[in-house]
Amino acid sequence: MQFACKSASMRYSGFKVFLEGLRGQSGWKPVWRDPEPKQEYDVIIIGGGGHGLSTAYYLARNHGITNVAVLEKGYLGGGNVGRNTTIVRANYFLPGNSEFYSHSLKLWEGLEADLNYNVMHSQRGLINLFHSDGQRDAFARRGNAMINQGDDAILLDREGVRRHLPYLDFDNARFPVYGGLFHPRGGTARHDAVAWGYARGADQRGVDLIQQCEVTGIDIENGRVTGVQTTRGAIRAKKVAMVVAGRSSEVAAMAGMRLPIESHVLQAFVTEGLKPCIDHVVSFGMGHFYISQSDKGGLVFGGDIDFYASYAQRGNLPMKEHVMEAGMALMPMIGQARVLRSWGGIMDMSPDGSPIIDKTHIEGLTLNCGWCYGGFKAVPASGFATAHLVATGELHETAAGFRLDRFETGRGLMDEEGTGAQHNLH
Amino acid sequence: MRLTCPHCGDRDLREFTYKGDALALLRPDETANPQEWVDYVHNRDNPAGTTSELWYHGPCGSWLVAVRDTTTHVTHRTLSLAEAGK
Amino acid sequence: MAKLIARPATDGLLPIEIGKAILEDAQPQAITWVAPFNRKKSAVSKTLGGFPGPGEVVEVKAGRALSVGPGQAMILGAPLDCEGAAVADQSDAWTVVALEGAAARDVLARVTPLDLRDAVFPEGGTARTLVGHMTASLTRVGPFRFEIMVFRSMTQTLIHELERAMKHVDARTKL
Ligand SMILES: Cc1cc2nc3c(=O)[nH]c(=O)nc-3n(C[C@H](O)[C@H](O)[C@H](O)COP(=O)(O)OP(=O)(O)OC[C@H]3O[C@@H](n4cnc5c(N)ncnc54)[C@H](O)[C@@H]3O)c2cc1C
Ligand SMILES: [Zn+2]
Repeated sequence: MQFACKSASMRYSGFKVFLEGLRGQSGWKPVWRDPEPKQEYDVIIIGGGGHGLSTAYYLARNHGITNVAVLEKGYLGGGNVGRNTTIVRANYFLPGNSEFYSHSLKLWEGLEADLNYNVMHSQRGLINLFHSDGQRDAFARRGNAMINQGDDAILLDREGVRRHLPYLDFDNARFPVYGGLFHPRGGTARHDAVAWGYARGADQRGVDLIQQCEVTGIDIENGRVTGVQTTRGAIRAKKVAMVVAGRSSEVAAMAGMRLPIESHVLQAFVTEGLKPCIDHVVSFGMGHFYISQSDKGGLVFGGDIDFYASYAQRGNLPMKEHVMEAGMALMPMIGQARVLRSWGGIMDMSPDGSPIIDKTHIEGLTLNCGWCYGGFKAVPASGFATAHLVATGELHETAAGFRLDRFETGRGLMDEEGTGAQHNLH
Repeated sequence: MRLTCPHCGDRDLREFTYKGDALALLRPDETANPQEWVDYVHNRDNPAGTTSELWYHGPCGSWLVAVRDTTTHVTHRTLSLAEAGK
Repeated sequence: MAKLIARPATDGLLPIEIGKAILEDAQPQAITWVAPFNRKKSAVSKTLGGFPGPGEVVEVKAGRALSVGPGQAMILGAPLDCEGAAVADQSDAWTVVALEGAAARDVLARVTPLDLRDAVFPEGGTARTLVGHMTASLTRVGPFRFEIMVFRSMTQTLIHELERAMKHVDARTKL
């Protein structure tokens, strides 16, 4: 056991819940501290999203590095980690991505026990639909790649899909359902609980989580990072990690870097709570639509990015219309549900659609970005690999493909969608 | 969001396709070194604020440059490629 | 040799009348695309009897000339040829339908992002825009009459979209 117990938080258990029931819920303590920033840390992590918090957690848990600050300009989990459609899967195809997401899913499977926190990880199964013979071949190939990686994949024919998802419109004239690739271990997790769970775990091990603290400058002397400037004063550190998702270009510019990143808005939607009707995660790639049902009953769904550079955390109406049209085309029954809310998050889009976890040309400065619209499932493995890189200076074997220089050299590009390794194609 | 097509005038966003940073108009010349090409093809300023972008008006086939704010979605100005010097 | 029977793309599909709108075939005898070569615009304009500027419709010798893009017009009417311009016969490539009636503008408002108010799109105005997800050319030929032109292969989709919008508008007015 490695409980530093510097923090006010406590271990959760069924007995604890029972006891607090008897005590009138008077014994619960804040889940993490709210410390003043110190003048110096061993490691500063910029960004308190999923990836920043998991990096802090694994620095402490795997490497015993606990003199760490996470600097968050807003509140923990206020960024993309609390805005996504919560899909967790390991169905990547290309070497480089495949082993990484496979590792991530294994970490997910042990996460609640590891964090002593309920992140509501639900392996309800994910089905990716296909609508032509060519697409079936591509999914069969992807399924084989998944199985070779040690993960699970089952190719369903049309009747197989019908058994799982009887409510689809199978005879849609444009995209008739031919079958689906079923990934039983895929599913969802409660997104903000993931941020809170990692935050609590990091705090318990001594990490300072500092909110309302925006990094405004990165200090560099003789090619080495020496600390950061923030809205709460200067803080020194010999190691700094930039883990700010959609804001990566802005923060990297503080270190004089221009990144191969464009920020785009992606929207998500939720309906009123309904009785259980969608048991899986269903992904309709041809219509750019994916959906699952939350434990509260809301249908959570999304589509494609709005397709223009944006830092506004809201989207435009035309894309809403497009996503709803796709949903109606796939499962006409959802036309009966009323949409309660929609929102947007800022995606750090990389040219090849794959992420970057790498050192920079500035000593001590690490970069984690390029998650596009798929970085939620990556939260555990990304923190694991980034912590490894920060602690040891070496790329972790599961994330060795996420090199920044692949765009410069053309070696190791990971164009998972096969659309070309260029901006605006993913 | 609305943009102004140099041929058709003020139109709805749905009629347009985003074609990336207007940096694409500043193609390096033959003598450029590899780093200049990487900066041109892959690296982006990606500002939170005013940016210049290429857009395409599908219905009539015109290209334009939009000077836009990425935080508010306000379009300050649109130029035809001729006005942009291309 | 077998004798082929020419049929219009809208054969058997039109007309449709729902509520205060009627959708009918408006295919002209010929559709010709004309794009004057550099510095040949005034000569071409003289030959044709006019050439439309952006957003304009001009009555020319062969029929009605619509602006369809920078330096390009589509002439609906009699077949023609013209010196000093790129000319292409598009008669079989496009379908033209007309939507007419007091509800016509409300129907179109459901399927096109174009601003259809009188001040922006008056009688005699034309625009390249979208109808449903199709690129289209839309012309206001009368106070309550619009002509809609799409690629011929999309005829059925166009009619389906418009018929649905006609039904929806009609249902609204009956509430
Ligand atoms: C609508 C939507 C749906 C999505 N669906 C899925 C999905 O189904 N499955 C999936 O795997 N992924 C999905 N994603 C992607 C996923 O959410 C992101 O890739 C991932 O959350 C990004 O990493 P993060 O959690 O660290 O980002 P964030 O939570 O955005 O964290 C970055 C943090 O950095 C902070 N920051 C920025 N600048 C500064 C600064 N100067 N100083 C201090 N702090 C700063 C921000 O405030 C923010 O809290 C979706 C995203 C969106 C928006
Ligand atoms: Zn135009």
